Amino acid sequence: MEKAFDMNMIGDFVPTLTAYLPVTLYILTLSLLFGFVLGLFLALPRIYNIPIVNQLAKVYISFFRGTPIMVQLFIVFYGIPALTGLIGIDTSKMDPFYAAVATYALSNAAAAAEIIRAGVGSVDKGQTEAAYSIGLSGSQAFRRIVLPQALVQAFPNMGNMVISSLKDTSLAFSIGVMDMSGRGQTLITSSNHSLEVYIALSIVYYAVAVLFEWFFRVAEKRIKKNQTRIVTVFDMNIH
Amino acid sequence: MQFDFPFIVSAMKEMVKTIPLTLMMAVLPIVFGFLVALGNIIVRIFRIKGLVACSRFYVSFFRSTPAILHIMLIYLGIPPVADQVSSFFHLGWSANEIPVSMFVIMALSLTAGAYLTEIIRSGILAMDTGQVEAAYSIGLTYSQTFRRVILPQALKVSIPNFTNLGIGFLHTTSIAAIVAVPEITGTATIVASDNYAFLEAFIGAAIIYWVLTLILESANGVLERKAARFQGGTL
Repeated sequence: MEKAFDMNMIGDFVPTLTAYLPVTLYILTLSLLFGFVLGLFLALPRIYNIPIVNQLAKVYISFFRGTPIMVQLFIVFYGIPALTGLIGIDTSKMDPFYAAVATYALSNAAAAAEIIRAGVGSVDKGQTEAAYSIGLSGSQAFRRIVLPQALVQAFPNMGNMVISSLKDTSLAFSIGVMDMSGRGQTLITSSNHSLEVYIALSIVYYAVAVLFEWFFRVAEKRIKKNQTRIVTVFDMNIH
Repeated sequence: MQFDFPFIVSAMKEMVKTIPLTLMMAVLPIVFGFLVALGNIIVRIFRIKGLVACSRFYVSFFRSTPAILHIMLIYLGIPPVADQVSSFFHLGWSANEIPVSMFVIMALSLTAGAYLTEIIRSGILAMDTGQVEAAYSIGLTYSQTFRRVILPQALKVSIPNFTNLGIGFLHTTSIAAIVAVPEITGTATIVASDNYAFLEAFIGAAIIYWVLTLILESANGVLERKAARFQGGTL
């Protein structure tokens, strides 16, 4: 039986839940890192229109952006043991933490690929032409000229991706991960005060998200500061 | 354990039946959320004292916290309050009679309201100030300008954002499975545990969501082309 609402419980729950915030942030960081690298590899064939790989990347991105993260979590969670079972390795006792990281990484890769592609698309074609004209090779032009500018353009979207990924990690408890939400579930079982636990969880998630938003706002300002200066002919010291 | 291909199809047959409920839980929140968003926009435009801060907090909170928490807060928070009201006025009903999907729709309406406020606001911000000046110069009042000039154009540029939100909400409804609403994912969980075929059931669910998403995306393309026709180009 659910006990009566007790405001003081919320204050007790917040520190208990915050103790598990590192697990949530760990899942987030790992999945963002892997997701970003994989996303870059997905974006390249899309940008350079490499046949076959481009179509495969398209289907991959479409799938991960076309299905709910909940369903993806379950598919990876049950899919990894099924796949490794084929080569005779039993992973059914594996910590669900890894399945969660893998799912969020795969999902973030699809999102990152689209963001990077849009960023590269926003870089003026003249930049590549100018790079070629001073003798840079194709890969040099991409790595040194286009990509840095594309990442600056993509920065606000990357920030949004991080925050929406943070919110998505709240579902990892459904496959049994002991992150902040998972700890919330065990608190509910032990205390029978579910509403208070969820209020406490909202407070922590909100605080973290607001902190991230503030960080990205400040970072964006700093990044864009170097960019807005317009160089005119008069600045160029032509003799 | 053997992978059971035919079971994907038979599981999908069960899940297809729940598409109407799933779509209802995705569409109704957007409709209700739209009204909430319009209220927010009016508060922001007319800078109604006290309410602007409330509106800011509402949008920030609901955009920054996971939807599962909104569902849980409403699902657990409304029944005790509703029961109090019911016993106070001797209405003779209890919150147990309210179907769980109603709570999900209520919660997601609040979520949608916050996202839609931002979408419409950015649509308005994207508009050329010349439009408002032109509307004033031909003698339209403020509310006429808002209703006939600003809002229609702001909504038009927001079409891709609306589609993204629709797809996002289609995916968000899968969270309702956690509170045991038998929508697509909920049904997948049920048929999976009945037949002990989890991977197959969730692959089936993924296919259904994917197809629905692709349909929504192509509908967006049609809608954008239709809307582009109103953008009178050459005279």
